Amino acid sequence: MSAKRVLVIEDDAWLGEHFASVLKDVGYKVKLEPHIFAAVGAVDEFKPDMVLADILLAGETIFPFLNELRSYEDTGELPVVVCSNLAADISFDDLKPYGVTRLLDKTTMQPDDIIAAVKDALQ
Amino acid sequence: MVAKRGEDKELRDGRLFSGDLPSIVAAAHELKAPLALIRQLALGLESSGAREENVGRIVLTAEKGLRLSSDLTKSLRLQDALFETEPINPLSLCKDVVHEMSPLFNAHNKKLVVAERKRQLLVVGNNSLLRRVITNFSDNALHYAESDKPVEISVRAVEGGEKVRLGVRDFGPAIPSNIWNNLVDKLTNSPQSVNARPQSSGLGLYIASQFAEAMGGEIGAVRHRDGATFYIDLQASKQTSLL
Repeated sequence: MSAKRVLVIEDDAWLGEHFASVLKDVGYKVKLEPHIFAAVGAVDEFKPDMVLADILLAGETIFPFLNELRSYEDTGELPVVVCSNLAADISFDDLKPYGVTRLLDKTTMQPDDIIAAVKDALQ
Repeated sequence: MVAKRGEDKELRDGRLFSGDLPSIVAAAHELKAPLALIRQLALGLESSGAREENVGRIVLTAEKGLRLSSDLTKSLRLQDALFETEPINPLSLCKDVVHEMSPLFNAHNKKLVVAERKRQLLVVGNNSLLRRVITNFSDNALHYAESDKPVEISVRAVEGGEKVRLGVRDFGPAIPSNIWNNLVDKLTNSPQSVNARPQSSGLGLYIASQFAEAMGGEIGAVRHRDGATFYIDLQASKQTSLL
């Protein structure tokens, strides 16, 4: 069985590399993009099975990208895990319409939490 | 497009933290980002093969957080008029900033340079505040710039030589007009709570505008098709004996 593909959208390069490293270590294929403009292209080329994304990105927030995903038949059901410093200030219910299956708090989460959230989202 | 900070009453009269809860929330949010990164990098030390690299990143991120903390302190002290202005060689100051910031840029595989110029200029400003403004712009550029072209700091005369402009140019993806308008707004208004304005608080730019104002200058930004320039205009000094 081929490895599942995770598209990571994180504008902090070092944090993005850390997330990618954690996921690669347990066997996922990972593509890291810093902003939504690059992420749109990566959806077509990389064909991810799910998305792990920050909310506040360089330029735009993640929401226009998530709206774009929802609007296409082939990506409309793609699961999304959001990972943000704002997690404590956001209602998870507000994120559900964007296909978000889990909200992680960057300030409190452990590396294992990323793996668990991705695993759950892909089930 | 050029955006300039005007004579805004809110900026003239209001200082950061003058009983302004949204500003405190903005500051807390800005400090949360480097702290969260340090924590994640530290957690990664246990499993990461690149332990030495991660330790270096932790140090550089801590320094970034400390710079912001220091800016906030300076912002409070502006009220006490502790920062006197004097003639400054801006090119020399910019080279100092490049020296300070190069380890951070190098760690991101990016480059920060100063555009050389033959004719030297002097500005009237405060060395400490001006250095913080240029460092702040460079920090901002680091976040937005792509790695194939260096971020460039330049110094040039404007308004017929009456003023001197220190600009930090980054090369990155074009900024959408709605984001640009939001960013321009941050040059002229106090930082808002992240709940009220989700695209970050703009605290760094707001602090830079306060520092500029304390030196009798103003900050602004120019939108390019491939990035942006943030600049500060200061009064030119005629005291050529320092050159």
